[in-house]
Amino acid sequence: MPLRLPSERDWAEAAGALRSSARPGDAVQIWPAWAERARMFVDAAPLLAEEDLAQADYVGVQRLWLLSLPRAPYARNPQGALRARGATAASQEQRFGALALQPWDLHAPQLAADLTRADEEHEVDYVARRCLRLAIGSRIASRGAAGRILHFRAGIIGERAYDKGRPPIVVQIFSGGAPLGVLAVDGPGWRKLDVELPSGPEERDFLFAVSSPDAARPFCLQGWTTR
Amino acid sequence: MSGKALARLLGFGTAAAMALTQSSVGFVRDEGYYFAAAQSYEAWLRLLWQAPLQALAQTERYWSYNFEHPGLIKLLFALSHLCFSSSVGDTLAWRLPAFAFAGLISYWLCLLGQSRSRAAGVLAPLLFWCAERTFFHGHLACFDIPICAMTAGVAVAWLRGGGPWLAFLYGLALSTKHNAWFLPPVLLVHALLLAREQRIAKLRLLPWLLLSPLVLLATWPLLWHDPLRHLGDWIAFHTHHVHYAWYYFGEVLRGPPFPLFYPLVLDALVLPLPIAALLSAAGVKLLVDFARRRLDAQRLLELGLAGAAVLPFMLRTTPIFGGIKHWLAFLALLSPEAADLVVRIAPSPSLGALAALLPGLWQIAHVHPYGTSAYGELAGGIPGAASLGMQRQYWSNNVTAVLPWLNAHCPPGARVYFHEVNVESYRAYQLAGMLRGDLRYAPSPTNSDYAALQWHREFRDREPETWNAYGTRRPAFGLYLDETPQVIVYARPGFPGAP
Repeated sequence: MPLRLPSERDWAEAAGALRSSARPGDAVQIWPAWAERARMFVDAAPLLAEEDLAQADYVGVQRLWLLSLPRAPYARNPQGALRARGATAASQEQRFGALALQPWDLHAPQLAADLTRADEEHEVDYVARRCLRLAIGSRIASRGAAGRILHFRAGIIGERAYDKGRPPIVVQIFSGGAPLGVLAVDGPGWRKLDVELPSGPEERDFLFAVSSPDAARPFCLQGWTTR
Repeated sequence: MSGKALARLLGFGTAAAMALTQSSVGFVRDEGYYFAAAQSYEAWLRLLWQAPLQALAQTERYWSYNFEHPGLIKLLFALSHLCFSSSVGDTLAWRLPAFAFAGLISYWLCLLGQSRSRAAGVLAPLLFWCAERTFFHGHLACFDIPICAMTAGVAVAWLRGGGPWLAFLYGLALSTKHNAWFLPPVLLVHALLLAREQRIAKLRLLPWLLLSPLVLLATWPLLWHDPLRHLGDWIAFHTHHVHYAWYYFGEVLRGPPFPLFYPLVLDALVLPLPIAALLSAAGVKLLVDFARRRLDAQRLLELGLAGAAVLPFMLRTTPIFGGIKHWLAFLALLSPEAADLVVRIAPSPSLGALAALLPGLWQIAHVHPYGTSAYGELAGGIPGAASLGMQRQYWSNNVTAVLPWLNAHCPPGARVYFHEVNVESYRAYQLAGMLRGDLRYAPSPTNSDYAALQWHREFRDREPETWNAYGTRRPAFGLYLDETPQVIVYARPGFPGAP
């Protein structure tokens, strides 16, 4: 087993390589997602532990560094999931002992505006998400570049998501006073709503209103637009 | 050396091995409660010595704590602490009775094994103990190893003992843990399946069990006043037991229905491969021989008791938390048959024993004292289990790995969020000198200067909560077993040890 796992030196070398190559807008995805010891070493770019690489949003990330333990037992190959989302390897894989490091171009649409601008992170559906915690019954207004598509995500934080028999939490989304969409969160999961924006001014006001008869569950949301 | 002397030697050896390797074993959540119970019962014992009538009148006050388990084992913890704490320290004094029960498992398994061969007698307890999970449980001041021992003891008494001895041992089992409720039906069915002469003899033995509740009554002073209410509370607690979240193949199980083969699959994944394979083969062999009516009385009883230990956890509604600890008797009662298989199949018993035990010895050397994290070869070890989405750890005992770091770095009076470590265990660590007395127990990451987070799937929200509170995502220290995060320590920026 020790031969299949990275040493401290492997981690330090991989972190050093990232320090010399990473640039703003990059992020590091560890794989398997449990290999979070990387947090002790990697400081050159935000470190993500997404579990579904094909579906993860990677908001604002253009280049993703895949830092993986390819010989870890039962670890699935992450490259297929990245290819499935249209990502392509940007260069050859580098090896640091039992660690592999490879940059991937996500070919993601360019970020137009981060509407929720969250500094905090919360766990929803077992993944730390950069989202804004909002009390039920409250609303948040934001102004930003409209772009082409509004992406909206929301979910119940932590274990309360698994409370049974609770009414849904409903988020109504408005732009310039007109309704854009409604997302109902009726249980666990990071719920998604992507809406094509009607043509109009480049800068717009957005409003997210959260309501539910049950106000006790911690709730967070994230919204952004892409061109 | 006689057979009994050999069994005694293995028994003492086991207890000594536990005593010698216990200091690094953390206090599991339940131990914290049992230590607190033992302290309360010890206070009652002191009162009994000084003012017996007052003590008899105040059983409710001292014995109501941890009413959900009978008194015997905690009474032994209290007595041991009363007698030995000044010479061996608090922790070891509380745990000494548990080591005695670990020794009894070896003793009784050796006796059961020796009915096949002397080599099987030696190998049976070794097969049981040479796995980090069972070895770890042997150290704890809890009830799982004691009830496993008492199940084996009742088996030996039923096969070889007289009525009074059987009644006494079953009384001790009943006074240990509620798993004992399942033993009389097994003994009855066992008796009914025997040949006529044996059947009559065993059916005559069975009524002795009616005396066993007297032992329960004698060793559990809580029952001395209002016994029916307390018995009702005891039974109701276990028939309405809460379900704790449990991570299993990528899914957090929160309530019934649980997977049918959960206990068998878990055994296969956590035990060293040779031992898992041997115990499986032993179970199959016993079942096949049962179907062919080739089981003698002892093997039939071993099959029955092993089945009774594990089948309740295959009902799909019984709480499944706690790894394999709740059905340890299943492994123990299959061990003599597994030992016999090794002796019969291997070219030489020593070579067979070596092949069977070495992976388990390596597992112990590699993982101890973090027993709740141990996984065997079938799971791909600890990282393989993490990839498969299995429970990483439970009971919070792994926190011992980071206590020296906290002691070295925390400034005086620092507030530490210990996450799953309950207040009782935190106090026990301070009492044992493993944690500085000035460090304060913080209720949440927000109110803390340091956080020692235990990786649990169902508590993943604690880590981002700590990042938000501290403004950093970089751990200061941690316990990583084969790269898998177990306990992650964060320090508030500006505090000693912060990265």
